[in-house]
Amino acid sequence: MLKRKILSTLFFACLAAAAIPALAHACAVCLTGDGDATADAFNWSVLFLMATPYTVVGSIAGWLVYKYRRAALRREQEAAANPMVRLAWNQEESGR
Amino acid sequence: MAQSLTAKRLDEPLAELNLKRREFGGGEPPVRSNTPVGANAWLAVWMFLGAEAMFFAGLIGAFIVFRLSAASWPPPFQPRLPVGVTGVNTLILLLSAVTMRRSIASVRAADSAGAVQLLGATAILGTLFLAVQGYEWVQLIQFGLTVSSSVYGGLFYTLIGFHALHVFGALICLLVVFARARKGRYTAERHVGLQICAMYWTFVVALWPVLYGLVYLY
Repeated sequence: MLKRKILSTLFFACLAAAAIPALAHACAVCLTGDGDATADAFNWSVLFLMATPYTVVGSIAGWLVYKYRRAALRREQEAAANPMVRLAWNQEESGR
Repeated sequence: MAQSLTAKRLDEPLAELNLKRREFGGGEPPVRSNTPVGANAWLAVWMFLGAEAMFFAGLIGAFIVFRLSAASWPPPFQPRLPVGVTGVNTLILLLSAVTMRRSIASVRAADSAGAVQLLGATAILGTLFLAVQGYEWVQLIQFGLTVSSSVYGGLFYTLIGFHALHVFGALICLLVVFARARKGRYTAERHVGLQICAMYWTFVVALWPVLYGLVYLY
């Protein structure tokens, strides 16, 4: 019974908050409407901050890919420059 | 079959072509997935620079909010920022990145003396940048632009101040690297400390044109 009262109170509180958003203060920039300078400023700021982590992580990942590809290319060039036969078993044994 | 071919190779050098076949132990060298392509310190510095980028992104985000929501910018009765002098200062800082990158090229070419000279030039350019910034700040404070004078002043000193602090930190790092380079600690094969310092310096330099464009020009 008590649980039902709590639930119904919460339901009506939510309903009131949805019906009178100005009292709820749910969102600092939701009530300003389109074309408002403050809302636009927050929107641009949010977009910028949203894009930054992707840029940072993408830069690190791109750098790693670049380094791996360059290392592979360098290995190929070294192999082409050095005509000595590479023995796989020898390389594994020596660890080089 | 294998024995006869191996024996043939001992007698005839041309038979080494056969040894390139996998059944004789030839072929491509085994790929080692655990072989690092760079120093672990590089990755650590990348992580650190990522955190630094997020820190400045937060400050820039705050600047965007105040800048775009302001009716007029700069606010009335606030001094204008010195765009021309700071533009020249920007070129000085960009030049320091060039000398820094060339110092790495010198170390790789086993030219230690050249690398030391270029590191010294980088340190001088960085110090010059900070000196001009400091002079500008003194002028702006005399004109009445302080941290507490307005949001404009607060944002300016926070953004530009934190960048100047980073340049100062990078300069200390650079002076340590310079001292080590003079002692011949960096070789063509091993110069991780110099590379790390160059990464941080490049980050600080690359950040500045963004801040200059945002705070001074926009």
